[in-house]
Amino acid sequence: MDIFIYGIFNSISLALMALGFALVYGISRVPNFAHGALYVVTGFLTWGFLRTLHLNYFLSILLAMLITGIVGALIYQLILVRVRGMAISEIIASYAMGLAIIEGFRWWGFKGMTYTLPVFVEGSVTIAGIPIDWQRILVVAVGGAVVGFLWLFTHYTKVGLALRGMAQDERASLMLGIDSDRMAVVAMSFGAMLAGLAAIMLLPLGNIVVEKGYDVLILAIAVCIVGGLGSWMGAVVASFLIGFAQIFTVVYLGAHFQMVVALLAIIITLILRPSGLFGRQKELEERV
Amino acid sequence: MKKSGWGVWIVLVAAFLMLAPSGRAVAAEPIIIGCPLPTAFLYGWDAERGVRLAVDEINAQGGVDVGGEKRMLKVELIDTRDLEPGVPVSEALLAVEKLILEKKADFIVGGPVRSEAALAAMPLLSKHQKVSIVTSGVLSPKYHAMVAQDYDKYKYCFRIHGEAKQLVTEIMDCLEHIKGTFGLNNLFIMVQDVAHARAAGKILGDIALKKGWTVSGTEIFPTGTGDFSMGLIKAQKAGAQVLSLWMDMPESSILLKQWYDMQLPALPFGSTLAAAEQPGFWKATEGKGAYCLANVVNAGNAPSNATPWTMKFYDAYTEKWGIEPEGLGSSSSYMAIYTLKDAIERAGTLESGAVITALEQTDLMGVYGRVRFDPKSHQVIPSYDPQEGAVGSIFQWQDGKRVVVFPESIAMGKIILPPWMKMKQ
Repeated sequence: MDIFIYGIFNSISLALMALGFALVYGISRVPNFAHGALYVVTGFLTWGFLRTLHLNYFLSILLAMLITGIVGALIYQLILVRVRGMAISEIIASYAMGLAIIEGFRWWGFKGMTYTLPVFVEGSVTIAGIPIDWQRILVVAVGGAVVGFLWLFTHYTKVGLALRGMAQDERASLMLGIDSDRMAVVAMSFGAMLAGLAAIMLLPLGNIVVEKGYDVLILAIAVCIVGGLGSWMGAVVASFLIGFAQIFTVVYLGAHFQMVVALLAIIITLILRPSGLFGRQKELEERV
Repeated sequence: MKKSGWGVWIVLVAAFLMLAPSGRAVAAEPIIIGCPLPTAFLYGWDAERGVRLAVDEINAQGGVDVGGEKRMLKVELIDTRDLEPGVPVSEALLAVEKLILEKKADFIVGGPVRSEAALAAMPLLSKHQKVSIVTSGVLSPKYHAMVAQDYDKYKYCFRIHGEAKQLVTEIMDCLEHIKGTFGLNNLFIMVQDVAHARAAGKILGDIALKKGWTVSGTEIFPTGTGDFSMGLIKAQKAGAQVLSLWMDMPESSILLKQWYDMQLPALPFGSTLAAAEQPGFWKATEGKGAYCLANVVNAGNAPSNATPWTMKFYDAYTEKWGIEPEGLGSSSSYMAIYTLKDAIERAGTLESGAVITALEQTDLMGVYGRVRFDPKSHQVIPSYDPQEGAVGSIFQWQDGKRVVVFPESIAMGKIILPPWMKMKQ
């Protein structure tokens, strides 16, 4: 039962961390290696508004997520648009931006363990003899809601359909009058806000440390490679595979092997099915 | 003739003014203290602050007397990043070498802090014949064992704070006290996947078994772990009554938050538990760190009256940095500078051999008791009596304060159990 409960929580956490990355790549084909940095940005911004400016918690969250969205859009508009289509340059440019942001926070003195956000709901509950705190239950609920919202958004709204069109066939979308760059900015901003949402939900469980930016990036990349780059559904499925694999590893092998799982998943996927579970970029090669 | 006479006078006066010594004596070269420290982490910046406080105090008093000449101290610091996950040991070695070769450090004080990096730096210090005093982190018993095994090679290396074996002894004695007072005897060990913690966890487990404790499990967490749920559930299923935590990563505060939220009926007892050592921990966890015990290695890192110097240091640190001494490296780093000053003045030179001999003969009453080094291993001599040696310090978070509860000789309060454990009892 404990494996099931914490496996669900771990999987949803991974999905929250990875969805933004998957969305940006799916729409603009840009691997946003600043994803982890945007996660940290939201955390520190919320902390700043809440603890320094003493704003209301939910207002702080709203402002932080909006600013993170703008930062994401600016990264694309000012930097990534110039190297779009050059895969290596996109990775280097976005990673450099992420590195500058993360190490910038460290340089400004955001170090140590005292940067924390309050949980939304205090206390814990016992389910089938397993204690779990309300914040984690909330993470599962919000994660589920985000996946549902994304599905509805991409199926029933004009912007969502345009994003989907871009993800499926960019050239056909261009012929229908969809502005590729505009959609990429929207995706980048939206992806940044999703990274921010993950931060808002998960950081109250611990503390805000700059190193988290690197961890989130690695996990997001692992999930997206296993699920198939650009596939949102793949990201969700891969989150559950890796999430449960991590919990099984902790229970049966020991906690110190947990970090290996994500990296091992990348290696196995690249060997057996380079496109990932739902990816299509190497489908023809794999068939041949 | 008259004109040329004036000219000669002008030239002479100008030459005199240029060449004559000014009212102030020509300043002697400062003594360079090289500090290789991970400044983004508690055990780096607390050590830096301890060092800088001592250096400022000594310089304000006129500096160090080196064979009749007063010389100031100067701190050169390089960030080793050796406590960060994924940073190779070579980074720390580069920092040490840069301090020696580029910054011309006369002595190395502080780090590297991660045991693995400090051990790797030992041959480097020997190669350059630089006297080093580690003051923060570096808990592996291997460090002073290597000095004892190959004295001629590693005689340059000293450690002025407690190490894992001593810490385990103190923790075990404190655990025995807890067993006697509350009847708890089931221990679950949780350690970080680093050398000192793995070693200490194993030693503690072995000793606890011999002392009649039930050691119901050992869980090893990689540096950077963000979720400890499954480990805590394992502990709960095993009927743990005391959690022994050995981890210096910031994420250990997550563990304590989870422990509190789960209301796990086991008393958390940390060593090198960096998150819990900081004065800001209570506020950061919104009180969820209550009842957590933490070993801060030496007195002075939490308020006590171990010696007359303890609170003097504590208050001076608080005044200078705007925060109380924060971690296990504060008082030892401060004392290292005073100990070095004392040794240099007795040696009358900065020459390594003479300073090593002087350090071996150190007998100084400091912040955490009497400072003396074992002449064979260069490990500071520990004791529960401040009059006899370096005294450790274990505190418990009680009502937002760090209350020293062990050893008895310097205790400021008694250990208390969380209410959900009292109910079970």
